[in-house]
Amino acid sequence: MYFKEINHYGDRGLIIDFGIESSKDISQEINATIIYLKDLKLPALNTIPSYNKIVLHFKNTEDKQKSIQTLEIMMKDFRPLDIKRPYKRWNIPTCYEPQYALDLERVQKFHDLSIQEIVNLHTKKIYYNYYIGFMPGFPYLGEISSKLITPRLSSPRVRIPARSVGIAKEHTCIYPKVSPGGWNIIAQVPFDIFSLDHSRTSLFLPGDEVEFSKVTQSEFEKIQNKNFLFDEIIKEFSQ
Amino acid sequence: MNSFSITRTGTYLTIQDFGRFHLQHLGISSSGAMDQRVLKELAKVISDHQNQFLEFAYVGPSLKVQEGAIKVSVGGFCKIFVQKRNNTQIEHQPYTSINLFEGDELTIHNTISSVYGYIAIENGLGLKPCLQSYSTDTKAQIGSINRPLQIGDTFQIKKDVSSWEVQSSEGLQNLNQTHFKVYPGPQISYFSDEVIKTFISQPFKISSQSDRMGLRLEGPSLLSHLSHDILSEGILPGSIQVPSNGKPIVLMRDIPCTGGYPKIAILSGEDISKIAQLPPGTVINFDLESQSI
Repeated sequence: MYFKEINHYGDRGLIIDFGIESSKDISQEINATIIYLKDLKLPALNTIPSYNKIVLHFKNTEDKQKSIQTLEIMMKDFRPLDIKRPYKRWNIPTCYEPQYALDLERVQKFHDLSIQEIVNLHTKKIYYNYYIGFMPGFPYLGEISSKLITPRLSSPRVRIPARSVGIAKEHTCIYPKVSPGGWNIIAQVPFDIFSLDHSRTSLFLPGDEVEFSKVTQSEFEKIQNKNFLFDEIIKEFSQ
Repeated sequence: MNSFSITRTGTYLTIQDFGRFHLQHLGISSSGAMDQRVLKELAKVISDHQNQFLEFAYVGPSLKVQEGAIKVSVGGFCKIFVQKRNNTQIEHQPYTSINLFEGDELTIHNTISSVYGYIAIENGLGLKPCLQSYSTDTKAQIGSINRPLQIGDTFQIKKDVSSWEVQSSEGLQNLNQTHFKVYPGPQISYFSDEVIKTFISQPFKISSQSDRMGLRLEGPSLLSHLSHDILSEGILPGSIQVPSNGKPIVLMRDIPCTGGYPKIAILSGEDISKIAQLPPGTVINFDLESQSI
Protein backbone atom coordinates (compact mmCIF):
# COMPACT_ATOMS: atom_id res chain seq x y z
CA MET A 1 0.00 0.00 0.00
CA TYR A 2 1.34 3.37 -1.03
CA PHE A 3 -1.70 5.40 0.07
CA LYS A 4 -0.61 8.01 2.61
CA GLU A 5 -3.31 10.52 3.43
CA ILE A 6 -6.10 12.77 2.23
CA ASN A 7 -5.31 16.49 2.02
CA HIS A 8 -7.29 19.64 1.31
CA TYR A 9 -6.89 21.49 -2.00
CA GLY A 10 -8.74 24.76 -1.39
CA ASP A 11 -12.45 24.92 -0.65
CA ARG A 12 -13.51 22.58 -3.48
CA GLY A 13 -10.70 20.08 -3.78
CA LEU A 14 -9.17 17.06 -2.09
CA ILE A 15 -5.92 15.27 -2.83
CA ILE A 16 -5.49 11.57 -2.17
CA ASP A 17 -1.76 11.33 -1.62
CA PHE A 18 0.35 8.27 -2.46
CA GLY A 19 3.74 9.69 -1.43
CA ILE A 20 6.41 11.54 -3.36
CA GLU A 21 7.86 8.76 -5.52
CA SER A 22 6.70 7.67 -8.96
CA SER A 23 6.54 4.06 -10.14
CA LYS A 24 4.35 1.66 -12.07
CA ASP A 25 3.31 0.01 -8.77
CA ILE A 26 2.13 3.34 -7.35
CA SER A 27 0.30 4.15 -10.57
CA GLN A 28 -1.42 0.76 -10.56
CA GLU A 29 -2.61 1.36 -7.01
CA ILE A 30 -3.89 4.79 -8.09
CA ASN A 31 -5.76 3.36 -11.06
CA ALA A 32 -7.27 0.65 -8.83
CA THR A 33 -8.29 3.35 -6.33
CA ILE A 34 -10.11 5.21 -9.11
CA ILE A 35 -12.21 2.08 -9.83
CA TYR A 36 -12.88 1.73 -6.11
CA LEU A 37 -13.93 5.40 -5.83
CA LYS A 38 -16.48 4.97 -8.65
CA ASP A 39 -18.53 2.69 -6.40
CA LEU A 40 -18.54 5.25 -3.58
CA LYS A 41 -20.63 7.60 -5.75
CA LEU A 42 -18.88 10.69 -4.41
CA PRO A 43 -20.37 13.91 -5.87
CA ALA A 44 -17.08 14.79 -7.60
CA LEU A 45 -17.00 16.85 -10.81
CA ASN A 46 -13.61 15.47 -11.78
CA THR A 47 -11.33 12.69 -10.55
CA ILE A 48 -7.83 13.27 -11.89
CA PRO A 49 -5.06 10.66 -11.52
CA SER A 50 -1.37 11.44 -11.97
CA TYR A 51 1.94 9.77 -10.97
CA ASN A 52 1.34 9.77 -7.21
CA LYS A 53 -1.88 11.66 -6.51
CA ILE A 54 -5.58 11.68 -7.21
CA VAL A 55 -7.14 15.15 -7.27
CA LEU A 56 -10.88 15.36 -6.63
CA HIS A 57 -12.81 18.45 -7.75
CA PHE A 58 -16.17 19.20 -6.10
CA LYS A 59 -18.87 21.69 -7.03
CA ASN A 60 -18.78 23.34 -3.60
CA THR A 61 -17.48 23.03 -0.05
CA GLU A 62 -20.61 21.19 1.06
CA ASP A 63 -20.08 18.33 -1.45
CA LYS A 64 -16.44 18.20 -0.45
CA GLN A 65 -17.24 18.00 3.28
CA LYS A 66 -19.73 15.21 2.68
CA SER A 67 -17.05 13.25 0.84
CA ILE A 68 -14.13 13.62 3.26
CA GLN A 69 -15.64 11.36 5.91
CA THR A 70 -16.63 8.65 3.43
CA LEU A 71 -13.16 8.77 1.91
CA GLU A 72 -11.36 8.60 5.27
CA ILE A 73 -13.33 5.50 6.26
CA MET A 74 -13.25 3.78 2.88
CA MET A 75 -9.54 4.38 2.19
CA LYS A 76 -8.72 2.63 5.48
CA ASP A 77 -10.34 -0.54 4.16
CA PHE A 78 -8.97 -0.28 0.65
CA ARG A 79 -6.75 -3.13 -0.55
CA PRO A 80 -5.38 -2.34 -4.01
CA LEU A 81 -4.82 -5.98 -4.97
CA ASP A 82 -8.55 -6.63 -4.75
CA ILE A 83 -9.14 -4.74 -7.98
CA LYS A 84 -7.85 -5.63 -11.41
CA ARG A 85 -8.45 -2.90 -13.92
CA PRO A 86 -9.86 -4.06 -17.25
CA TYR A 87 -6.95 -2.48 -19.12
CA LYS A 88 -6.04 -2.98 -22.75
CA ARG A 89 -2.69 -3.86 -24.25
CA TRP A 90 -2.00 -2.02 -27.48
CA ASN A 91 0.35 -2.85 -30.32
CA ILE A 92 0.64 0.32 -32.38
CA PRO A 93 2.14 0.33 -35.89
CA THR A 94 4.76 3.08 -35.95
CA CYS A 95 6.84 4.55 -38.76
CA TYR A 96 10.34 5.81 -37.89
CA GLU A 97 11.15 7.09 -41.41
CA PRO A 98 13.05 10.44 -41.45
CA GLN A 99 10.08 12.47 -42.76
CA TYR A 100 8.22 11.71 -39.49
CA ALA A 101 11.21 11.47 -37.14
CA LEU A 102 11.98 15.18 -36.88
CA ASP A 103 14.43 14.81 -33.97
CA LEU A 104 15.90 11.36 -34.62
CA GLU A 105 19.21 12.88 -35.65
CA ARG A 106 19.39 14.96 -32.47
CA VAL A 107 18.63 11.89 -30.33
CA GLN A 108 21.20 9.91 -32.33
CA LYS A 109 23.92 12.47 -31.71
CA PHE A 110 22.97 12.92 -28.05
CA HIS A 111 23.40 9.21 -27.28
CA ASP A 112 25.80 8.25 -30.06
CA LEU A 113 23.45 5.48 -31.22
CA SER A 114 22.50 4.33 -34.72
CA ILE A 115 18.94 4.84 -35.97
CA GLN A 116 18.47 1.09 -35.87
CA GLU A 117 19.55 0.99 -32.21
CA ILE A 118 17.14 3.79 -31.27
CA VAL A 119 14.24 2.06 -33.06
CA ASN A 120 15.12 -1.25 -31.37
CA LEU A 121 15.29 0.38 -27.93
CA HIS A 122 11.97 2.15 -28.44
CA THR A 123 10.08 -0.89 -29.80
CA LYS A 124 11.42 -3.53 -27.44
CA LYS A 125 9.58 -2.28 -24.32
CA ILE A 126 5.97 -2.44 -23.25
CA TYR A 127 5.01 0.94 -21.84
CA TYR A 128 2.57 1.66 -19.06
CA ASN A 129 0.14 4.57 -19.49
CA TYR A 130 0.50 6.56 -16.27
CA TYR A 131 -2.13 9.13 -17.06
CA ILE A 132 -3.56 11.43 -19.74
CA GLY A 133 -2.75 15.12 -19.58
CA PHE A 134 -1.32 18.17 -21.34
CA MET A 135 -3.96 17.97 -24.08
CA PRO A 136 -7.01 15.77 -24.78
CA GLY A 137 -5.93 12.14 -25.17
CA PHE A 138 -2.18 12.73 -24.65
CA PRO A 139 -0.72 9.62 -22.93
CA TYR A 140 2.28 9.70 -20.58
CA LEU A 141 3.93 6.33 -21.29
CA GLY A 142 6.88 4.96 -19.36
CA GLU A 143 9.52 4.11 -18.68
CA ILE A 144 11.73 4.22 -21.75
CA SER A 145 15.10 2.49 -21.84
CA SER A 146 17.68 4.36 -19.76
CA LYS A 147 19.80 4.50 -22.93
CA LEU A 148 17.15 6.67 -24.61
CA ILE A 149 16.56 9.24 -21.86
CA THR A 150 16.80 12.61 -23.64
CA PRO A 151 16.05 16.11 -22.35
CA ARG A 152 13.23 18.13 -23.86
CA LEU A 153 14.09 20.49 -26.73
CA SER A 154 15.59 23.66 -25.25
CA SER A 155 13.22 25.70 -27.39
CA PRO A 156 9.85 23.98 -27.92
CA ARG A 157 8.71 23.37 -31.49
CA VAL A 158 5.81 25.65 -32.51
CA ARG A 159 4.02 22.99 -34.53
CA ILE A 160 4.33 19.27 -33.96
CA PRO A 161 2.30 17.26 -36.51
CA ALA A 162 -0.67 15.26 -35.16
CA ARG A 163 0.07 11.56 -34.40
CA SER A 164 3.78 12.25 -33.77
CA VAL A 165 5.59 9.97 -31.32
CA GLY A 166 7.90 11.77 -28.89
CA ILE A 167 10.38 11.00 -26.13
CA ALA A 168 11.46 13.22 -23.23
CA LYS A 169 13.11 12.31 -19.95
CA GLU A 170 11.84 8.85 -18.89
CA HIS A 171 8.67 8.98 -21.00
CA THR A 172 7.31 8.52 -24.48
CA CYS A 173 4.09 9.97 -25.87
CA ILE A 174 1.87 10.40 -28.92
CA TYR A 175 0.54 13.87 -29.87
CA PRO A 176 -3.21 13.45 -30.60
CA LYS A 177 -3.39 16.74 -32.52
CA VAL A 178 -1.15 19.40 -33.99
CA SER A 179 0.39 21.22 -31.04
CA PRO A 180 3.38 23.18 -29.85
CA GLY A 181 5.64 21.04 -27.70
CA GLY A 182 9.11 20.18 -26.52
CA TRP A 183 9.34 16.40 -26.88
CA ASN A 184 11.87 14.85 -29.28
CA ILE A 185 9.86 13.53 -32.24
CA ILE A 186 11.10 10.12 -33.42
CA ALA A 187 8.16 8.57 -35.33
CA GLN A 188 4.49 8.79 -36.29
CA VAL A 189 1.45 6.52 -35.93
CA PRO A 190 -1.03 6.04 -38.82
CA PHE A 191 -4.33 6.88 -37.09
CA ASP A 192 -5.97 9.30 -34.65
CA ILE A 193 -5.77 8.47 -30.96
CA PHE A 194 -8.51 10.91 -29.88
CA SER A 195 -12.08 10.92 -31.18
CA LEU A 196 -15.19 12.83 -30.19
CA ASP A 197 -17.28 10.25 -32.07
CA HIS A 198 -16.48 7.32 -29.79
CA SER A 199 -17.58 6.84 -26.18
CA ARG A 200 -13.97 6.07 -25.22
CA THR A 201 -12.82 9.52 -26.51
CA SER A 202 -9.19 8.73 -25.75
CA LEU A 203 -7.80 5.57 -27.39
CA PHE A 204 -5.49 4.99 -24.42
CA LEU A 205 -6.81 5.07 -20.87
CA PRO A 206 -4.76 5.32 -17.67
CA GLY A 207 -3.50 1.82 -16.82
CA ASP A 208 -3.35 0.60 -20.44
CA GLU A 209 -0.12 -0.83 -21.86
CA VAL A 210 1.33 0.27 -25.18
CA GLU A 211 3.90 -1.33 -27.44
CA PHE A 212 5.23 0.27 -30.65
CA SER A 213 5.87 -1.91 -33.73
CA LYS A 214 8.02 -0.64 -36.54
CA VAL A 215 6.32 -0.57 -39.96
CA THR A 216 7.68 0.45 -43.35
CA GLN A 217 6.57 3.56 -45.18
CA SER A 218 4.26 1.58 -47.49
CA GLU A 219 2.67 -0.40 -44.62
CA PHE A 220 2.19 2.89 -42.76
CA GLU A 221 0.47 4.51 -45.74
CA LYS A 222 -1.72 1.44 -46.26
CA ILE A 223 -3.04 1.67 -42.69
CA GLN A 224 -3.33 5.46 -42.93
CA ASN A 225 -5.48 5.15 -46.07
CA LYS A 226 -7.92 2.82 -44.34
CA ASN A 227 -9.08 5.75 -42.15
CA PHE A 228 -9.87 3.39 -39.30
CA LEU A 229 -12.63 4.22 -36.87
CA PHE A 230 -11.95 3.73 -33.15
CA ASP A 231 -13.84 0.41 -33.03
CA GLU A 232 -11.71 -0.95 -35.87
CA ILE A 233 -8.48 0.26 -34.23
CA ILE A 234 -9.51 -1.38 -30.95
CA LYS A 235 -10.30 -4.66 -32.74
CA GLU A 236 -7.17 -4.65 -34.84
CA PHE A 237 -4.51 -3.31 -32.47
CA SER A 238 -5.49 -4.15 -28.90
CA GLN A 239 -6.17 -7.16 -26.72
CA MET B 1 -38.31 29.30 -37.85
CA ASN B 2 -36.36 32.12 -36.18
CA SER B 3 -32.75 32.89 -36.94
CA PHE B 4 -30.03 35.43 -36.29
CA SER B 5 -26.48 36.00 -37.54
CA ILE B 6 -23.30 37.39 -36.07
CA THR B 7 -22.63 40.68 -37.90
CA ARG B 8 -19.70 41.77 -35.71
CA THR B 9 -17.73 39.41 -33.51
CA GLY B 10 -16.27 41.83 -30.97
CA THR B 11 -13.43 40.05 -29.25
CA TYR B 12 -13.20 36.43 -28.33
CA LEU B 13 -16.83 35.52 -28.90
CA THR B 14 -17.46 31.91 -27.84
CA ILE B 15 -20.27 29.70 -26.60
CA GLN B 16 -20.06 28.82 -22.90
CA ASP B 17 -22.08 27.17 -20.15
CA PHE B 18 -21.32 26.11 -16.58
CA GLY B 19 -18.58 23.70 -17.68
CA ARG B 20 -17.69 20.26 -19.03
CA PHE B 21 -17.02 17.78 -16.25
CA HIS B 22 -15.97 14.17 -15.58
CA LEU B 23 -13.39 14.21 -18.40
CA GLN B 24 -10.33 15.93 -16.93
CA HIS B 25 -8.66 12.49 -16.55
CA LEU B 26 -8.74 12.28 -20.37
CA GLY B 27 -7.02 15.65 -20.70
CA ILE B 28 -10.26 17.58 -21.26
CA SER B 29 -10.54 20.86 -19.38
CA SER B 30 -13.76 21.87 -17.60
CA SER B 31 -13.94 25.22 -19.50
CA GLY B 32 -17.23 27.10 -18.93
CA ALA B 33 -18.06 30.78 -18.52
CA MET B 34 -15.32 32.89 -16.93
CA ASP B 35 -17.86 34.72 -14.72
CA GLN B 36 -20.51 32.16 -13.81
CA ARG B 37 -22.35 34.63 -11.55
CA VAL B 38 -23.54 36.45 -14.67
CA LEU B 39 -25.02 33.25 -16.15
CA LYS B 40 -26.95 32.61 -12.93
CA GLU B 41 -28.28 36.16 -12.95
CA LEU B 42 -29.23 35.96 -16.66
CA ALA B 43 -31.09 32.72 -15.96
CA LYS B 44 -33.51 34.77 -13.83
CA VAL B 45 -34.39 36.83 -16.92
CA ILE B 46 -34.27 34.11 -19.60
CA SER B 47 -35.14 30.89 -17.78
CA ASP B 48 -35.21 28.69 -20.90
CA HIS B 49 -31.64 29.43 -22.00
CA GLN B 50 -30.81 25.79 -22.78
CA ASN B 51 -27.36 26.36 -21.22
CA GLN B 52 -26.16 27.96 -24.47
CA PHE B 53 -24.72 31.42 -23.72
CA LEU B 54 -22.50 33.71 -25.78
CA GLU B 55 -19.41 35.05 -23.99
CA PHE B 56 -17.31 38.01 -25.15
CA ALA B 57 -14.30 39.82 -23.73
CA TYR B 58 -13.84 43.61 -23.77
CA VAL B 59 -15.74 44.33 -27.01
CA GLY B 60 -19.25 43.02 -27.54
CA PRO B 61 -20.67 41.54 -30.76
CA SER B 62 -23.54 42.55 -33.03
CA LEU B 63 -26.38 40.13 -33.79
CA LYS B 64 -28.94 40.64 -36.55
CA VAL B 65 -32.27 38.83 -36.71
CA GLN B 66 -32.61 37.27 -40.17
CA GLU B 67 -35.98 35.63 -39.77
CA GLY B 68 -38.80 35.67 -37.21
CA ALA B 69 -38.14 37.02 -33.73
CA ILE B 70 -35.98 36.21 -30.71
CA LYS B 71 -35.73 37.26 -27.09
CA VAL B 72 -32.34 37.89 -25.50
CA SER B 73 -30.78 39.40 -22.40
CA VAL B 74 -27.28 40.78 -21.93
CA GLY B 75 -25.25 40.35 -18.75
CA GLY B 76 -22.23 42.46 -17.80
CA PHE B 77 -21.33 46.13 -17.56
CA CYS B 78 -21.81 47.49 -21.05
CA LYS B 79 -23.94 49.76 -23.18
CA ILE B 80 -26.48 47.96 -25.35
CA PHE B 81 -28.19 49.36 -28.43
CA VAL B 82 -30.75 48.01 -30.86
CA GLN B 83 -30.92 49.42 -34.37
CA LYS B 84 -34.50 48.92 -35.55
CA ARG B 85 -35.34 48.25 -39.18
CA ASN B 86 -36.41 51.89 -39.62
CA ASN B 87 -32.99 53.03 -38.36
CA THR B 88 -34.14 54.30 -34.97
CA GLN B 89 -31.76 53.35 -32.19
CA ILE B 90 -32.94 52.24 -28.77
CA GLU B 91 -30.75 51.81 -25.71
CA HIS B 92 -31.36 48.83 -23.40
CA GLN B 93 -30.15 47.91 -19.95
CA PRO B 94 -28.28 44.75 -18.93
CA TYR B 95 -30.33 42.02 -17.23
CA THR B 96 -33.56 43.02 -18.94
CA SER B 97 -35.17 41.02 -21.73
CA ILE B 98 -34.94 42.48 -25.22
CA ASN B 99 -37.34 41.48 -27.99
CA LEU B 100 -35.69 41.48 -31.41
CA PHE B 101 -37.64 41.23 -34.66
CA GLU B 102 -36.64 40.54 -38.24
CA GLY B 103 -34.08 43.14 -39.36
CA ASP B 104 -33.27 44.34 -35.83
CA GLU B 105 -29.59 44.49 -34.95
CA LEU B 106 -28.32 44.28 -31.39
CA THR B 107 -24.92 45.86 -30.72
CA ILE B 108 -23.02 45.60 -27.46
CA HIS B 109 -20.27 48.11 -26.77
CA ASN B 110 -17.17 47.71 -24.58
CA THR B 111 -17.34 46.13 -21.15
CA ILE B 112 -16.86 48.97 -18.64
CA SER B 113 -14.24 48.48 -15.86
CA SER B 114 -14.67 44.74 -16.35
CA VAL B 115 -13.77 42.08 -18.91
CA TYR B 116 -16.49 39.54 -19.73
CA GLY B 117 -20.07 39.95 -20.90
CA TYR B 118 -22.73 37.40 -21.84
CA ILE B 119 -25.87 36.99 -23.93
CA ALA B 120 -28.65 34.56 -23.07
CA ILE B 121 -31.11 33.66 -25.84
CA GLU B 122 -34.53 32.22 -25.10
CA ASN B 123 -34.69 28.59 -26.32
CA GLY B 124 -30.90 28.55 -26.73
CA LEU B 125 -28.92 28.54 -29.96
CA GLY B 126 -30.19 25.26 -31.44
CA LEU B 127 -26.88 23.50 -30.75
CA LYS B 128 -26.03 19.92 -29.86
CA PRO B 129 -23.80 19.37 -26.82
CA CYS B 130 -20.24 18.12 -27.29
CA LEU B 131 -19.17 15.73 -24.50
CA GLN B 132 -22.16 16.77 -22.39
CA SER B 133 -21.45 20.50 -22.59
CA TYR B 134 -21.88 23.44 -24.97
CA SER B 135 -18.68 25.18 -23.83
CA THR B 136 -15.96 25.99 -26.32
CA ASP B 137 -12.34 25.18 -25.53
CA THR B 138 -10.63 26.84 -28.49
CA LYS B 139 -7.18 25.51 -27.65
CA ALA B 140 -8.32 21.89 -27.52
CA GLN B 141 -10.83 22.51 -30.35
CA ILE B 142 -13.68 21.02 -28.36
CA GLY B 143 -17.20 22.40 -28.24
CA SER B 144 -20.62 22.53 -29.93
CA ILE B 145 -18.78 25.04 -32.11
CA ASN B 146 -15.09 24.36 -31.51
CA ARG B 147 -13.74 27.82 -32.45
CA PRO B 148 -14.47 31.48 -31.70
CA LEU B 149 -17.56 32.63 -33.60
CA GLN B 150 -17.15 34.42 -36.92
CA ILE B 151 -19.11 36.99 -38.89
CA GLY B 152 -21.87 35.18 -40.74
CA ASP B 153 -22.34 32.38 -38.19
CA THR B 154 -26.10 31.85 -38.12
CA PHE B 155 -28.23 30.21 -35.47
CA GLN B 156 -31.65 28.67 -36.10
CA ILE B 157 -34.09 28.67 -33.21
CA LYS B 158 -37.10 26.48 -33.89
CA LYS B 159 -39.23 27.41 -30.92
CA ASP B 160 -41.00 30.79 -30.86
CA VAL B 161 -40.61 33.34 -28.07
CA SER B 162 -42.95 32.46 -25.18
CA SER B 163 -43.96 35.98 -24.15
CA TRP B 164 -43.13 39.55 -25.15
CA GLU B 165 -43.46 40.77 -21.55
CA VAL B 166 -40.27 42.49 -20.47
CA GLN B 167 -38.54 40.65 -17.66
CA SER B 168 -35.58 41.81 -15.64
CA SER B 169 -33.46 41.00 -12.63
CA GLU B 170 -31.48 43.14 -10.24
CA GLY B 171 -28.22 42.27 -11.95
CA LEU B 172 -24.79 42.20 -10.38
CA GLN B 173 -23.12 45.12 -8.67
CA ASN B 174 -19.66 45.87 -9.98
CA LEU B 175 -17.95 45.54 -6.62
CA ASN B 176 -14.50 45.25 -8.16
CA GLN B 177 -13.20 43.18 -5.31
CA THR B 178 -9.39 43.32 -5.42
CA HIS B 179 -8.57 41.64 -2.12
CA PHE B 180 -8.74 37.86 -2.27
CA LYS B 181 -8.64 35.27 0.47
CA VAL B 182 -6.73 32.23 -0.72
CA TYR B 183 -6.18 28.75 0.71
CA PRO B 184 -2.75 27.12 0.94
CA GLY B 185 -1.81 25.33 -2.30
CA PRO B 186 -0.57 21.72 -2.36
CA GLN B 187 3.06 22.93 -2.62
CA ILE B 188 2.97 25.85 -0.18
CA SER B 189 5.87 24.17 1.64
CA TYR B 190 7.97 24.80 -1.49
CA PHE B 191 8.01 28.46 -0.46
CA SER B 192 9.82 29.88 2.57
CA ASP B 193 7.98 31.88 5.24
CA GLU B 194 9.64 34.97 3.83
CA VAL B 195 8.33 34.32 0.29
CA ILE B 196 4.85 33.59 1.66
CA LYS B 197 5.03 36.87 3.57
CA THR B 198 5.88 38.65 0.31
CA PHE B 199 2.96 36.90 -1.39
CA ILE B 200 0.42 38.16 1.17
CA SER B 201 1.90 41.59 1.90
CA GLN B 202 2.81 42.84 -1.58
CA PRO B 203 0.42 43.90 -4.35
CA PHE B 204 0.32 42.11 -7.71
CA LYS B 205 -0.82 43.54 -11.02
CA ILE B 206 -2.87 41.60 -13.56
CA SER B 207 -0.85 41.49 -16.78
CA SER B 208 -2.24 42.01 -20.27
CA GLN B 209 -1.06 38.47 -21.08
CA SER B 210 -4.17 37.02 -19.51
CA ASP B 211 -6.89 34.93 -21.11
CA ARG B 212 -9.38 32.11 -20.46
CA MET B 213 -6.51 29.84 -19.45
CA GLY B 214 -4.91 32.03 -16.85
CA LEU B 215 -4.13 35.47 -15.46
CA ARG B 216 -0.45 36.29 -15.33
CA LEU B 217 0.54 38.47 -12.39
CA GLU B 218 3.29 41.07 -12.25
CA GLY B 219 4.95 41.82 -8.95
CA PRO B 220 7.68 40.50 -6.69
CA SER B 221 9.21 37.16 -7.73
CA LEU B 222 8.09 34.21 -5.63
CA LEU B 223 11.04 31.86 -5.81
CA SER B 224 10.97 28.39 -4.32
CA HIS B 225 13.92 27.23 -2.22
CA LEU B 226 13.15 23.64 -3.39
CA SER B 227 12.13 23.50 -7.04
CA HIS B 228 9.80 24.94 -9.66
CA ASP B 229 9.55 21.55 -11.36
CA ILE B 230 7.32 19.01 -9.62
CA LEU B 231 5.93 15.68 -10.85
CA SER B 232 2.86 16.67 -12.89
CA GLU B 233 -0.43 16.40 -11.01
CA GLY B 234 -4.09 17.28 -11.46
CA ILE B 235 -4.89 20.98 -11.08
CA LEU B 236 -8.06 22.91 -10.29
CA PRO B 237 -9.22 26.29 -11.58
CA GLY B 238 -8.22 29.11 -9.23
CA SER B 239 -4.84 27.54 -8.44
CA ILE B 240 -1.93 29.99 -8.27
CA GLN B 241 1.10 28.29 -9.80
CA VAL B 242 4.61 29.67 -9.90
CA PRO B 243 6.97 28.78 -12.80
CA SER B 244 10.72 29.17 -12.47
CA ASN B 245 10.66 32.91 -13.29
CA GLY B 246 8.81 33.42 -9.98
CA LYS B 247 5.85 35.16 -11.65
CA PRO B 248 2.58 33.65 -10.41
CA ILE B 249 -0.23 32.60 -12.76
CA VAL B 250 -3.85 32.26 -11.60
CA LEU B 251 -5.27 29.32 -13.57
CA MET B 252 -8.74 29.97 -14.93
CA ARG B 253 -11.42 27.96 -16.80
CA ASP B 254 -9.53 26.54 -19.83
CA ILE B 255 -7.12 24.95 -17.40
CA PRO B 256 -4.26 22.71 -18.47
CA CYS B 257 -5.51 19.42 -16.96
CA THR B 258 -2.25 18.53 -15.22
CA GLY B 259 0.72 20.68 -14.42
CA GLY B 260 4.27 20.52 -13.18
CA TYR B 261 4.67 23.88 -11.43
CA PRO B 262 4.34 24.25 -7.65
CA LYS B 263 1.08 25.85 -6.50
CA ILE B 264 1.48 28.31 -3.66
CA ALA B 265 -2.26 28.90 -3.13
CA ILE B 266 -5.76 28.49 -4.52
CA LEU B 267 -8.67 30.95 -4.71
CA SER B 268 -12.11 30.05 -3.37
CA GLY B 269 -14.49 28.75 -6.04
CA GLU B 270 -16.60 31.91 -5.97
CA ASP B 271 -13.64 34.23 -6.37
CA ILE B 272 -12.66 32.73 -9.74
CA SER B 273 -15.65 34.52 -11.32
CA LYS B 274 -14.74 37.76 -9.49
CA ILE B 275 -11.06 37.86 -10.44
CA ALA B 276 -11.97 37.01 -14.07
CA GLN B 277 -13.65 40.42 -14.38
CA LEU B 278 -10.60 42.48 -13.37
CA PRO B 279 -9.02 44.19 -16.39
CA PRO B 280 -5.24 44.06 -16.97
CA GLY B 281 -3.49 46.68 -14.84
CA THR B 282 -5.72 46.07 -11.81
CA VAL B 283 -3.73 45.79 -8.59
CA ILE B 284 -4.75 42.92 -6.32
CA ASN B 285 -3.78 41.56 -2.90
CA PHE B 286 -3.91 38.10 -1.39
CA ASP B 287 -4.68 37.04 2.14
CA LEU B 288 -3.90 33.50 3.27
CA GLU B 289 -6.61 31.52 5.09
CA SER B 290 -5.70 28.58 7.25
CA GLN B 291 -6.96 25.46 5.54
CA SER B 292 -9.29 23.59 7.86
CA ILE B 293 -12.71 24.08 6.24
